Amino acid sequence: MEFKLTKEQQLIQSVARDYAEKAIAPLIEEIVEKNEVPDEIIDGLKDLDLFALPISDEYGGAGAGYASYVLAEEQLSRICPGVAVIVSVNNVGAAAMSIFGTEEQKKKYLPMGTTGSGVFSFAFTEPGTGSDPKQITATADRDGDYYVLNATKRFITNSSYEGPIIVFARDTETGHINGYIVDKFCEGYSISEPWKKMGVRGAPLYDVYLKDVKIPKDNILGGPGQGFWILKVAMALGKIGISSIFLGAMLAAYEEGLTYATAKTHRGAPIAKFQAIQMAIADMFMKYEAARWMAYRIGYLADNAQDKGDILKDSAAAKIFITETAIDVARIALNIHGSYGLMEDYKISRVWKDVIFGSQVEGVSHLLKVLIAGEILKG
Amino acid sequence: MNIVVAVKQIPDLQQIRIRDRRPVLDYVPCVLGDIDKSALEAAVELKESVQGRVIVVSAGNGEIEDTVKEALAAGGDEAVLVEDDTLADADSSVVAKVLAAAIRKIDDVGVILFGEGSADNYSGRVVSAVAADLGYPQVGYAKQIEVDGPLARVTRSLEDSDEIIEVPLPAVISVVSEIKEPRIPSVTSILKARKKPKAIYRLDDLGIEIPSGKNITTISNLAPVSERKGIVVKSVDELVKILKSERRLER
Ligand SMILES: Cc1cc2nc3c(=O)[nH]c(=O)nc-3n(C[C@H](O)[C@H](O)[C@H](O)COP(=O)(O)OP(=O)(O)OC[C@H]3O[C@@H](n4cnc5c(N)ncnc54)[C@H](O)[C@@H]3O)c2cc1C
Repeated sequence: MEFKLTKEQQLIQSVARDYAEKAIAPLIEEIVEKNEVPDEIIDGLKDLDLFALPISDEYGGAGAGYASYVLAEEQLSRICPGVAVIVSVNNVGAAAMSIFGTEEQKKKYLPMGTTGSGVFSFAFTEPGTGSDPKQITATADRDGDYYVLNATKRFITNSSYEGPIIVFARDTETGHINGYIVDKFCEGYSISEPWKKMGVRGAPLYDVYLKDVKIPKDNILGGPGQGFWILKVAMALGKIGISSIFLGAMLAAYEEGLTYATAKTHRGAPIAKFQAIQMAIADMFMKYEAARWMAYRIGYLADNAQDKGDILKDSAAAKIFITETAIDVARIALNIHGSYGLMEDYKISRVWKDVIFGSQVEGVSHLLKVLIAGEILKG
Repeated sequence: MNIVVAVKQIPDLQQIRIRDRRPVLDYVPCVLGDIDKSALEAAVELKESVQGRVIVVSAGNGEIEDTVKEALAAGGDEAVLVEDDTLADADSSVVAKVLAAAIRKIDDVGVILFGEGSADNYSGRVVSAVAADLGYPQVGYAKQIEVDGPLARVTRSLEDSDEIIEVPLPAVISVVSEIKEPRIPSVTSILKARKKPKAIYRLDDLGIEIPSGKNITTISNLAPVSERKGIVVKSVDELVKILKSERRLER
């Protein structure tokens, strides 16, 4: 057992850290204010091959694996979770296509989300359901060599960027839930006004409307009837991204708390001299360390699993633990700041609004716990 | 014509803690210093004009093979390494001898670049010693280099002026960090770095004599103590007055 990054992993981590500090940090105010990430950042991430780290280099990805992906996403999110969310959702779509797509689909669509000008979206949630695929109401009607899709998909990340979107809908003939590949902004595709998110600013979030969108019948991902399986694998991998993102937000909170504790003085001495603040610092450290190794391990598991669906229990556990711990750590860091932490001049106020997102996305904690217990009890 | 860049592995300065005014180096990974990375970036740019290869040279302990990947990811084409555990704390005269011997193993050397001083000790002694050993001219503080046939035209950054000189090649040139901002390497270039050619020598392979005694003894190497003045003011006016009296408000 070795708890150590390889040289390559160390370097990839510092590439992400350097890029985040040099290119993203100077624009953070603008990103938060406008709730938009400038295109030059996406281009920069693509130039450095940070945009599709785990996707095979055969299709323009970096082929660097999930362990490296976790390290990079943590560093991007430490500066801007919104940017890290764009990357994460791109990788959910691209990974689903890498695993389940035909050679033709991969050749056509993957480069859009790796080196090309597009970004993947992955559309499961609807106004009526975010957790239960059986309740999906989007429909796909077979019409000769085509399918005709009708859907309202809620809270869809990256839906304002061009590129492929994988839409989960029910085949009205067979009743199967399938993943359908659609080119965004084709005829019949439209999006709502942007959602005004309280945090994770910059990651584009809209509802997506498909009105009689016609796609070739071969644009089913993985063939008919595989929708649930694809969802399971994509969710398992998606939780790696979410775990890394909220690990990065937690790191930002920890750093802010620590900096404030050593900079703020009372009667001439830093508040870190108080034992209560020392308890807080130790708590932040312990929680970050536990979360960090859980996140790194899940990256390692994904790299070594033949069937990525097998890691669902572990990635769900990591996701719950890390997203909830991120809230704990941000709370501690905020307490260290006193009232100053509530002011927008202090970064911790923004981090606080970011960390709260983790538990609510990619599967709410309750349901994931049911899933974990189910796997354990299955024996 | 090939361009050689000498790089040194140093502990990651951002991860060093100071305890009792001494650096704590446990668990601190090795990296390349920033000036060395600037030198490398300058080499990569020069390479375009001379149609050669960028060859990274380094001497160090067993970790050097791993550390040099950073240079190979950032544009180095191949590496020539001297690996020996005694090199980790060898003094600069030994290091210079070793580097010169390693550089002699390389064909068609035109420009040999160094950072102006290493980011850890900053003694800056190695450059001249290597130039003397090889018998090549040496130019310091370069902020711009152009190769023109058998000559290099070098702009030197001096304290209050720039100086432009020409030097016949091969030459040893040390650069200041402003010569080039080091690039952030791409992930793919990091992954490819391990496949780039590396020649690894042991000290015995070099046919040089290493003096047994030490020429240089470090007596003390302590972090400076930053003393606070502990002045308490009661009003902004008073603060301004003190700052003015210390001439801190004049810029
Ligand atoms: C920033 C952001 C980005 C997003 N991006 C995407 C995206 O790209 N694609 C996409 O498809 N979706 C996306 N979503 C949607 C998100 O994944 C869902 O909203 C989330 O999965 C929760 O679904 P819901 O809001 O419908 O909650 P519900 O499923 O309605 O759950 C609400 C509450 O009921 C509880 N509950 C529900 N069912 C059960 C049950 N069976 N047992 C016990 N408790 C239950 C839950 O625990 C929860 O507390 C995004 C959301 C956000 C905020």
